[in-house]
Amino acid sequence: MALTQVSSNKCAGGYQKVFEHDSLELQCKMKFAVYLPPKAESDKCPVFYWLSGLTCTEQNFITKAGAQQAAADNGIIIVAPDTSPRGCGIEGEDESWDFGTGAGFYVDATQEPWTTNYRMYSYITDELPKLINNNFAADPDRMSISGHSMGGHGALVCTLRNPGKYKAVSAFAPICNPIQCPWGQKAFAGYLGADKSTWEAYDATALAASYEGPKLDILIDQGGDDQFLSSSQLLPDHLIAACSAKKIPVVFRRQPGYDHSYFFIYSFMSDHIKHHAKYLNA
Amino acid sequence: MDLYDSRGGVLAVIEECFSAEEQEEQEEADEEMTVTRNQLQEKVVEMENFAGHLEEIFLTVEENFGRREQHLEQHYADVLQTLSARYDQRAARLGQDKKSQLEVLYGQLLGCGRTLDSSKELIETAQGIYRSQDKRLFLKVIEEFAKEEMDLTLSTALELNTPEDDLSDVKTMMDSISVVPAPSAPVINPQMANSATQTSLRVRWNLFSDDTVEFYELFYRLVLEDMPADNTHGTDVCKVKVKETHCRVTDLLPNAQYELWVMATNTTGISPASEKALYMTVPSPPAIKERGCSSCPEAALIRWDSGNNNPVDSYTVEITEMDTHGAQCGAAEWIVAVAACQCLVQLQQDRRYMVTVRAVNIGGPSERSHPLGVSTTGTLFHLLEDTAHPCLSISEDGFTMFYGDEELPLSALAFDDNNFARCVAVLGDLLPVRGQHYWEVEVDDYTEFRVGIAYEDTNRNAYLGATNSSWCMRHILTPTRHKYEFLHDGWSPDLRITVNPVRLGVALDYDGGTLSFYNVELEQHLYTFHCHFQSYVHPCFALDNPGALTVHNSMEAPGYTMT
Repeated sequence: MALTQVSSNKCAGGYQKVFEHDSLELQCKMKFAVYLPPKAESDKCPVFYWLSGLTCTEQNFITKAGAQQAAADNGIIIVAPDTSPRGCGIEGEDESWDFGTGAGFYVDATQEPWTTNYRMYSYITDELPKLINNNFAADPDRMSISGHSMGGHGALVCTLRNPGKYKAVSAFAPICNPIQCPWGQKAFAGYLGADKSTWEAYDATALAASYEGPKLDILIDQGGDDQFLSSSQLLPDHLIAACSAKKIPVVFRRQPGYDHSYFFIYSFMSDHIKHHAKYLNA
Repeated sequence: MDLYDSRGGVLAVIEECFSAEEQEEQEEADEEMTVTRNQLQEKVVEMENFAGHLEEIFLTVEENFGRREQHLEQHYADVLQTLSARYDQRAARLGQDKKSQLEVLYGQLLGCGRTLDSSKELIETAQGIYRSQDKRLFLKVIEEFAKEEMDLTLSTALELNTPEDDLSDVKTMMDSISVVPAPSAPVINPQMANSATQTSLRVRWNLFSDDTVEFYELFYRLVLEDMPADNTHGTDVCKVKVKETHCRVTDLLPNAQYELWVMATNTTGISPASEKALYMTVPSPPAIKERGCSSCPEAALIRWDSGNNNPVDSYTVEITEMDTHGAQCGAAEWIVAVAACQCLVQLQQDRRYMVTVRAVNIGGPSERSHPLGVSTTGTLFHLLEDTAHPCLSISEDGFTMFYGDEELPLSALAFDDNNFARCVAVLGDLLPVRGQHYWEVEVDDYTEFRVGIAYEDTNRNAYLGATNSSWCMRHILTPTRHKYEFLHDGWSPDLRITVNPVRLGVALDYDGGTLSFYNVELEQHLYTFHCHFQSYVHPCFALDNPGALTVHNSMEAPGYTMT
């Protein structure tokens, strides 16, 4: 599990770095970005995992979200992995932007030809944390997760499937009910097969309805002028209804005028870091 | 070995316990000793004072005796001189009388001698005639002789004529030895510091040192503010008779001015009245208005009732830090010359204090008011009931408000400018301190409420959150769900909350310019307003449908509310 540093830039008093490694779960070379706050030079710091959305790499978040200053202020390490395996040579891998490369959907595929490489769920919840904890000044007991769009779906799923694993969770414009939206249906059919009952294991709304575990405090921001909201890809109302019924605390903020872009993410990033810091540094 | 060790251990523990107990007893004894020593020291001081007084009295008495002796001697000499003068005068007069009388007697003696001589001649003549035998002639001569009668009585009295002497002036002089002059007017002293209480005055005056006084009469009279100075008939004059040159006048009114004067009396008469002095009794203690007091981690606003009908000069606020057992720790801090019936005091965070107030006039400070405990762990405020909408009733403890089901008749809806007239709301009396404040509100699922803050002058005809002078979280019940708004200037973000808060935390941070709302049970952050607060704000609470709402304050802001 050797890490190769791809880049390192001083940022907000700490370092924004990118590493490459050979992933056992994904059977390919994977890159991830890690922001090390100044505090990490002397102390173990909590880790905030960021899952990006469709088509993104580890670069989008670190170049556009502007999270580093808030992370430095709160002494938080940010880890931003890629969104899928790359260069695995699977047929149809690069055919569409919403399936295959750049669209791993944070599931462990059960359908060929994806089963070998497309195991993003295990990569995110298991392999990557171990790698981080072993190589950086990370406190393994304090981790949290957030993401955007498909990554928001991933963050919610990882949290709801692993009660207590993440101290905090939040999401920007998450795909809240993938089994009910075109993106999710296409991806889940491809990765998980036709049996829709298996899809629920990766559906935040379904998982919320059956969640048992420590108290959550979910913060969700949603742009009001998000084209994917109006085209019913995100379906936050379904998740809110499920959480209301199950008494899972959610604050859902619909931000008028904002779209689905990183400009929207940038605008509310510090609120999210603060939300995570409240639990990570408690 | 183990057993032995453990026993040794137990013994050590017991010993330790005993030594702790002993130490405690020792401490108690020390404390008692300190108290006793202090008492004794006080007694010693009192006795020294007493001895000083006695010495002073002794000296005065001795001096008086000396003076009296001198006075008597002088008088005695005067009387003797007068008497001796009188004696000389009298002796001279007697001598003169004697001389003239002796002269008279001498004359008479001479006459007598002459008579004797003539009688001798006559006898010789008679004898010659007798011898002549002419008896008839003899008889004739004898007859003539016999006819001549001799005056043999003394022409002056044997006693000297000594007229009764008039000694009345001497008598007066003698009498005047025991008579003293009537005293002159005593000099009344101005009021001394700490000589007055709420109902009594300690008055002192002096006499002229030559005066002898049997007793004094102290007159006093209440001076009313609105009474002209020369009016002497306004209030009754009271009188006290005392032997000393000081007196404590009792049964007076608090915070009142009295006019006093003294007259001295002795056996000879009464002195003129002294000048009139003005004394003042100290005020009644003020009463702290618990409901009018608010506090926050940095300060407290104390309000009180004067406790006096007429104005006092100022108030003194005394702040004492208390430890967790309620005992005083640290020195008391005084804020003096407070003109109004309220005072904002700066305090340290997370402490307990006891605050008392005294009213002060020129007579001195009153007794302490009943103490008020102030805790600076959190923010404490009371509801400003005079801002409440008439439909809102407030519980006895002042922290729960109710909006009843029944419609009030229009007549009961008495508004004035300060009442909320549209929104069934009330303001809280938050301390005007720019810092961090935190309070909580207990609601139920089915109460439609507005909770937030507003400027003091927020429009009483507007709903909370509808204008730019108020910020609030609003709960609305729709047929399908619970809706929450975070309203300012009529605008709210679109925000969904999945778990209805039943206990809201409200955190106000003036410096950060934020007002945040939390679901306390979940420690969940709900929303934060960002605003630069131009002036001080008050908490505000409103009910949009019948129900109740309870404010909890004085609590420490939870860590998760700290930004």
